[in-house]
Amino acid sequence: MTSKRARLTVRSVLSGFLAAALLGSAATAAMAKETFTVDLVNEPSSLDPQKQWNPDSYYVYRNIFDNLVTRNDAGEIVPQVASAWKQVSPTEMQFTIRGDIKFQDGTPLTAKDVAFSIQRIIDPAFASPQLGQFNKITKAEASDDKTVTVTTDGPYPVLLAQLTKLSIVPEHVVEKVGDDAFNLKPVGSGPYSFEAWQRGVSVTLKRNDDYWGDKGPFETVTFRAVPDASTRVADLQAGTADLVVSLDSDQAAQLQTAPNAQALTALTERIAYLGINTGKPPLDDKRLRQAIAYGIDREGIVEGILGGEGKVVGQIVSPAAFGWSDSIEPYPYDPEKAKALIAEVGDGAKAELQFATAPVFDQRIVQALQQMLTEIGLKVEINMTDMATYLKAAQGPRDSQPMLSFGRWSCSCQDADGIMYPLLESDSAWSRYSNPEMDKLLNEARSTLDEDKRRADYEKASELVKDDVSLLPLYQVAIIYGASKKLDWQPTANESLFLNRMSWQGE
Amino acid sequence: MAAYLLRRFLQAVVAIFGVMTLIFFVQRLTGDPTYLLVPETATKADIEAMRVSLGLDRPLIVQYLSFLWGILHLDFGRSYVQNVPVMTIIAARLPYTLELTAGALAVAALIGVPLGIATAMWRGRSQARGLMGFVLAAQSMPTFWSGILMMMVFGVWLGWLPPSGAGGWKNLIMPSVALGLLSMATFARVARTAVLDELSKDYIRSARARGVSTGRLVRRHLLRNASIPVISISAMEISQLLAGAVIVETVFAWPGLGLLTIQSITGRDFMVVQTIVLLGAFVTITLNFLADLLYTVVDPRIRLTGTPG
Repeated sequence: MTSKRARLTVRSVLSGFLAAALLGSAATAAMAKETFTVDLVNEPSSLDPQKQWNPDSYYVYRNIFDNLVTRNDAGEIVPQVASAWKQVSPTEMQFTIRGDIKFQDGTPLTAKDVAFSIQRIIDPAFASPQLGQFNKITKAEASDDKTVTVTTDGPYPVLLAQLTKLSIVPEHVVEKVGDDAFNLKPVGSGPYSFEAWQRGVSVTLKRNDDYWGDKGPFETVTFRAVPDASTRVADLQAGTADLVVSLDSDQAAQLQTAPNAQALTALTERIAYLGINTGKPPLDDKRLRQAIAYGIDREGIVEGILGGEGKVVGQIVSPAAFGWSDSIEPYPYDPEKAKALIAEVGDGAKAELQFATAPVFDQRIVQALQQMLTEIGLKVEINMTDMATYLKAAQGPRDSQPMLSFGRWSCSCQDADGIMYPLLESDSAWSRYSNPEMDKLLNEARSTLDEDKRRADYEKASELVKDDVSLLPLYQVAIIYGASKKLDWQPTANESLFLNRMSWQGE
Repeated sequence: MAAYLLRRFLQAVVAIFGVMTLIFFVQRLTGDPTYLLVPETATKADIEAMRVSLGLDRPLIVQYLSFLWGILHLDFGRSYVQNVPVMTIIAARLPYTLELTAGALAVAALIGVPLGIATAMWRGRSQARGLMGFVLAAQSMPTFWSGILMMMVFGVWLGWLPPSGAGGWKNLIMPSVALGLLSMATFARVARTAVLDELSKDYIRSARARGVSTGRLVRRHLLRNASIPVISISAMEISQLLAGAVIVETVFAWPGLGLLTIQSITGRDFMVVQTIVLLGAFVTITLNFLADLLYTVVDPRIRLTGTPG
């Protein structure tokens, strides 16, 4: 995949996005690809990889920085900055650091930088939003230039999966210029180096020609902030953008007839689910929850609303994550059975159920869910608030958590622990479920290094979720990008945008 | 005159202080931004750590006083989301807003005012009705629709203009037209009424009786007198344009303050929202004040209270 990069050497005075804008798509096509333009939704919040957490930021900074380990296009964890690793004790993992990596300022990357990066992100005073992903790490120490030992507060099977998101920052630069200046002018060791940030408009990266690994196919890459999806599609059709993010299935269909553009899709590690407050009447009645499970036509949602982009699942663990089991089937759509269960419950089923949602979620799906539940005889009231209010309620005390909610969960770690633990363990912020059996399974699975045992525990946990309808998994979410027909790229489940895994079929 | 100015100035200070206080408390009533800043998987402890690092754990009154104290030092705080001083963000966006406002105002005034004059001079004739129909259509089209339509025609099909973003002067054309068309109707209507008003006055009739040509009449007599309502409407329209650019800026990905406002409100970036609102209040109040002053320059008949003739 990464090997067939186009070699682009033709230089032209009229390069770049301005020229593309002036001359239109026809003229751009004839030129070699020096400048690649990506339309994001918003500009990055921050380019310090440890200071912010949102796609528009990591789409950009994951090209400036290398991670300790990474996932290949097949989703397997493979070496990046660390060439090898071994578990030296149940709580210690030793990483061997490549010796041939240089930061973009020419300084070699050593084990000290790796240890520094870990210590920086786990320092509570630094208040990284990613702290929760690394808070099992108690320390990281470099014993020489090539060896780092990472210690966790117990056996922690998800360590490697979490470390795929650990960007390595240069200790000497951060220490010298401070966090604020580093945020404005980041220096990493990745395939692209930071060039300019025109605030509100664009971030420009330049190819790092000394990069140790696969080099990027484009000399310059511009990431722009284009909040409206129709505008992103127009940019793509006009040839002023080469890759755009976050399209829906209607926009993808629109691109099918475009002469110069294509839709690129991938099933992500994200699972859309219906959250249920199992601790509050009337949904503390298992029969009602089962009625909900039978009453929702998931195929209908995926085919009818999402244009087939997505995959119906019966587990909250994503097929792209460790802990997925092939043996658990979703509930069949059976409205008659649902109605029978509701009749059995009787008066208890007549209470009004608040269905919490926020504008970021696809309201077509929320309304379809409401309608399906109404059809089987439940009273469902959609309660739309802004995202912050929704998040606060969802993570609040059990009593004030929403009765029903629609969510799209991702832990960005592709491991069942990051999915099931926060959603189903009794004491977790998001959990609306309390079951000692579930807690035991989840706690055991997160504290053993035995993969087979973990797999078995998660399969049992998923069966329990299905049987008890602790929540209702709906479908695996697809991510849709729009791209120039000349772009050759396979998007991955972890919603990353690695430029050096793309290639360009120029003439 | 001096007393009048002083009174207006004090009114302005009170108004700005009021706006500032209101926006500070109303925003905080709406809830907590911390949840938006952490990944879904964050634990309660992480969320709390983030809240402390943003200073949101302090009592509200302490936060308010530190906000006021900052403003007295021209320190508007740091953005929660971008982690840089608010002024850095606003200073980067302000020029784009000014460009777009100027562009839209030019479109609105340069098309709207002549249209208004023409419809007044041709009152009752079919040309006037046709022109008013055009004005009405331009005003009624929702910008998100007319914007996308323009983008498809001039950006995608014809390829004459870049569909979105900021860069050269070509990027400015479509957003300016989309935004200006809305205000154009206001300008046309105000200009039309003002001209009709003047047309019925004695000095126009006597000028006509003297045999002054229509062109000269419009240029020398009418425009000067009819311009006062147009000036006052400009002041109001500029503040409208500054505030109303949200949709146009979103559609065309124009990096002005309107877009920033929406992004900051949805991201609960309190410090940024506060400063934008403060800036907006300041600009609106200043513009109204300037418009009042301008009347006296254009029309010496207007006398202000407390000033000797």
